[in-house]
Amino acid sequence: MDWPVVGHEWAVKLLQQALATGQLSHAYLISGPPQVGKTTLARACAQALLCTAAEPPCGQCLACRKVQKGIHPDLYVVAPQTANLLIDQVRELQRQAALSPVEARHKVFILRQIEQATAPAANALLKTLEEPPAHVVLFLTLTEGEQTLPTVASRCQQITLRPLPTAQVAQALQEKWQVPPQRAELLARLSQGRLGWAVTMLTDARAWSQRTQRLDDLLTLSSQNRVERMRYAERLSRQDDAISVLQLWSSWWRDVLLLQHGCEDQVANIDRLEVLRGQAGRYDEQQARAFLEALTSTGRYLEQNANAQLALEVLLLRLPRPAAPQGESNLSR
Amino acid sequence: MRVSCLQENLARGLAIVGRAVSHRSTLPVLGNIMLSTDRGRLRLSATNLEIGIHCWVGAKVEDEGATTVPARLLTDFVNTLPPEPIELSLVVRTQSVNLKCARYEANIKGIDASEFPLIPTAEADGMVELELAGLRRMIDQVAFAAATDESRPTLTGVYASFRDSLFTLAATDGYRLSVRETQLAQPVKEPVSVIVPARSMMELARIIGQLPPPEEEEPATVQVTVTPAGNQILFHMPHVDLLSQLIEGTFPDYQVIIPKSYATRTVLDTAAFLKATRVASLFARDGSNIVNLQITPGGAIGHPAPGTVTLTATSADLGDNVSEMDALVEGADIGIAFSARYLLDVLSVIDTEQVVLETSSPTSPGVIRPVGAGRELFTHVVMPMRPH
Repeated sequence: MDWPVVGHEWAVKLLQQALATGQLSHAYLISGPPQVGKTTLARACAQALLCTAAEPPCGQCLACRKVQKGIHPDLYVVAPQTANLLIDQVRELQRQAALSPVEARHKVFILRQIEQATAPAANALLKTLEEPPAHVVLFLTLTEGEQTLPTVASRCQQITLRPLPTAQVAQALQEKWQVPPQRAELLARLSQGRLGWAVTMLTDARAWSQRTQRLDDLLTLSSQNRVERMRYAERLSRQDDAISVLQLWSSWWRDVLLLQHGCEDQVANIDRLEVLRGQAGRYDEQQARAFLEALTSTGRYLEQNANAQLALEVLLLRLPRPAAPQGESNLSR
Repeated sequence: MRVSCLQENLARGLAIVGRAVSHRSTLPVLGNIMLSTDRGRLRLSATNLEIGIHCWVGAKVEDEGATTVPARLLTDFVNTLPPEPIELSLVVRTQSVNLKCARYEANIKGIDASEFPLIPTAEADGMVELELAGLRRMIDQVAFAAATDESRPTLTGVYASFRDSLFTLAATDGYRLSVRETQLAQPVKEPVSVIVPARSMMELARIIGQLPPPEEEEPATVQVTVTPAGNQILFHMPHVDLLSQLIEGTFPDYQVIIPKSYATRTVLDTAAFLKATRVASLFARDGSNIVNLQITPGGAIGHPAPGTVTLTATSADLGDNVSEMDALVEGADIGIAFSARYLLDVLSVIDTEQVVLETSSPTSPGVIRPVGAGRELFTHVVMPMRPH
């Protein structure tokens, strides 16, 4: 049976060959954008390792079914507790790692978001990463752009996942999640090659209505005065996912810029193509580019622990006004 | 599944398997106890992925089947029931177990038995057969010396070795070492050595203590098997199987740690030594937990003055204490300090009347052995504390 992974063909092949020749490394560091399929890949490899059939993974045997349900006793998924991966979690892992496997011949540990490990936790992990017991295989996942200790990275074989092609995401959504073609295409474009994100949007109705709401906010804000904008900035600064709002708005303004250059086939928010077309005509290219840059730098400020409210206020004051019929220039008030 | 059994039998079985239930696991099914029918009996099983326990309870089986139910609720419920027959039946549609006893009735929601980890049971005869009480005694004498600190996993286990007719248990935490040997009735075909988690061994000792007294023709023995894959050890007792995962790794070569010679050999009365240590520990426990031993030989041959051992412990805040014991001392006099807790641990598992302490210098390890234990060879090595 094929591995239950969409895309990342080269990575799957690499692991398959390592498995077939018995040269699987004891530890892998899988990095890539959020929700691109890092843990999915690790789980698939775990399934292949734990499967009891002649040609793993068979997808049928008890071990495979247990892996799919997340209840295999030899598969441990360790995710950051609260915000961090704590040293106690690493110690527990080490205790479990020293014990022989229960049902299979291997014990697989998946440590998600290793960048969230506290320094003591990461250091405690080094010993296990360097010489784990023979039956142990570790998979660490690392979000793209984040960092882990060089001593951790150097003890693992590294696999870097890249976003999937839009067409592949759309196809997977249609085939595996039975999404209608049009919606699949939209989600695929919005996902930026991250299938996991698209699936989340599919199952989480709240996330989808949130997107709609936030795009509406952006349109409303552009015609509002400074008081309204300041008020919105204040509200936004108290939300903990302000950065994802900025990312959403970036994708919108990127679409505006793309339309201005006549690249309609690359637009992400195709469900609102008409609105986008109107927007493209009402701003000049300079404005769109400047605001995109402002969005990017504000995102960076927020990550760097700047005063969120201040940064967002400045951003929203820079939001250009659409060219009104009277020809009123932006920020004239 | 439809089974009926006596409340006291079920309660006893639940108490035995209950210790292997894991309440804080990421796998919810590990908080459950598996109930299944097995050759005319009811089998209870629980595991925390380190230890797995099966316990068979005499029952009348009307319908075969299996399920798992939350351990805590089931145990607490059964414990409050009157000592009368309990009828258990599984409602497959809702995966819940219906219990009826006297005028009480309950439905407990369960998880499908297929989600429960597989715990092997003893299929064939074991590799070796050991006497229950003897094994328990061996575990008591060895397991306490294992490390509780997880930084070196192999030291948290008890080394068990079967070679020809010799069965050895050994454990060390780096500061002390306990080795206990016994002769097997039948030699093993191939030598086997494994490291069993100390927790599993202590659990085994506890279960042996809880077993109901064996019936007439039942042997009071335990069959020990290491699974073919070499990843589990199975102890098959009457009505109970205990299965433990093994610790992977190499156990340190402990033979080289045991001193081959001594400068002073002191024979003491075990009970007196234990008592004196206990008294000294009252003063020692507050600070560094050190007791000092001053060992003085008796008069020369022909002068029957006995040797003496003086125990002292001092606490800067509380005061100090001195106890003196008569002893048979061979060799030079010596002053040596030990941890009070370590001495108490080992002295309380020695059951002979006399104990021998062999020492060489204040900085080299001391050896403690029972006197006159015959073939049941027990050796305990303990590092001295740095003298003041």
